[in-house]
Amino acid sequence: MSEKIFAWLLHLYPSHFRDVYGEEALQLFRDRARDEKGFISGMRLWLDLLADLLVSVPREHRYVQPQIIVASVPLRFRVLSEESPRFGPLLFGGLLSLLTLATVPMFISNFGNHRGPWPTVSASQVVLAGLKPDAADRARVIHGVIENLKTYYIYPDVAQKIADALLAHEASGDYDTVTYGAPLADLLTRQLREVSHDMHLEVVYSKTSLPDRSSGPTSERLALYRKALEENNCTFEKVEILPNNIGYLKLNSFPDLSICRGIAVAAMASLNDADAIIFDLRENRGGYPSMVMLIASYLFDHPQYMYSPRENTTEQSWTQSPVPGNRLAEKPIYILTSARTFSGAEHFSYNLKMLKRATLVGETTGGATDVGTFHRIDDHFGIGIRETRAVNPYPEPDWAVIGVEPDVKTNAADALATAEKLAQSNLQKYGLLK
Amino acid sequence: MPKQKLNPLPSAAFQILLSLVDEDLHGYGIMRQVADQTGGRMRLGPGTLYSSIQALLEEKLIAEVGAREDAKLGNERRRYYRLTSAGRKLARSEAERLADLLRVARAKNILRGDYV
Repeated sequence: MSEKIFAWLLHLYPSHFRDVYGEEALQLFRDRARDEKGFISGMRLWLDLLADLLVSVPREHRYVQPQIIVASVPLRFRVLSEESPRFGPLLFGGLLSLLTLATVPMFISNFGNHRGPWPTVSASQVVLAGLKPDAADRARVIHGVIENLKTYYIYPDVAQKIADALLAHEASGDYDTVTYGAPLADLLTRQLREVSHDMHLEVVYSKTSLPDRSSGPTSERLALYRKALEENNCTFEKVEILPNNIGYLKLNSFPDLSICRGIAVAAMASLNDADAIIFDLRENRGGYPSMVMLIASYLFDHPQYMYSPRENTTEQSWTQSPVPGNRLAEKPIYILTSARTFSGAEHFSYNLKMLKRATLVGETTGGATDVGTFHRIDDHFGIGIRETRAVNPYPEPDWAVIGVEPDVKTNAADALATAEKLAQSNLQKYGLLK
Repeated sequence: MPKQKLNPLPSAAFQILLSLVDEDLHGYGIMRQVADQTGGRMRLGPGTLYSSIQALLEEKLIAEVGAREDAKLGNERRRYYRLTSAGRKLARSEAERLADLLRVARAKNILRGDYV
């Protein structure tokens, strides 16, 4: 019966589409109907189909017309054989559309499953800009970089040195053959870092037009972020006790403390009796420094300074240790890393590694340089300038560009098993393994 | 003239290209692969799937490689699709473009105050 309904709905599509793909579409429907049994799955199947109809039927009909208008080179007017949908299917389609619209909130909640604080930008929102190299454009960028550094960089003498170096390069024609685009951004970034030794300086090129300086995250985006967090348990993906009483926390970001404090505290409390903890940050792309500090607070019995190139040293640079009732301050800690471990997760990993508080297992982390303030130079170029004077107390440079190297190198996929083994042998050594 | 504009590349078309990177698939196989690779967030309906396939075929980004049975799904014959070298190239450049975009997005958001 339902296949018949779907076959009938296919009449909403233009005839050429039905002729070519009607049978395959029916086959796909049969496959899904066979594989997605049960009330919930069946409902979801029909919701998918209706939502798809709502989107694709008008598109199929709409694309008929532009073909005639813009067909300038290969003339293929098969659209002339099109007919409009008949009244019956149109009426039914309209009703279905209403029904589908009524279910839109459910649908959105399914798709708004964002992992990070900004919503994913779909490919269709982006226009590919083909820009030609142009001397005036290049000069604007170079002088924009200099101007921004002179205005905002914390070390005016270094800003001046960079300015001199860039102007010298310009005078000797070093930029003349460089394409306005990513190559120019990369070259300028390299030159900035050569002079300043500050790996956090970065010239950024965007193919898409950069928004105005004034635009920050909109309240809609923040609402989306909040909703995504609430739906995803604040990215605390897994909190469990593995065999041998090893606690395991898979954390995919360091989410906003104002939204997620409760979940974070509950997660840490549930691990309180573990004999060792594995933090899985292999898919952690960063987040909020305040959450980094909150989690780290559980790992010390005294306030501990955590270096951050992002922030000037303040009271917030120390963990709020000891946490009352917490028993994790002395427990062995393992952090799983991957090349996708990024930003705030590197802040966490780098400090715990430098303090010898944790053993890092996995791959070298991503090497985020996202420290400072972004200044727009033109529609496609901007510069990230570090504006803090935080001094790194450790002998090794921080994670910018180079990432944090793990103590135990292994493929990210094998990191958990490796860390479990390490934890077990460590516990055995101290007679804690039951 | 392609039936559906592929510039900018719609995300459904991009996902279909990605789904065919490892092996030739039929329509249902593509749908399942796309669902897998997007963690279930994108379940292509027949309309979107086949109109995207049609556009990609017209642009020679994918090609039909004949019909055969899929033993796991019964004895119906199914049309299989394969990624062409042009399709692979486009998928790669689209991925690079998205990576670039993400980098910028990250810079813009984070550099204002918080890591992301």
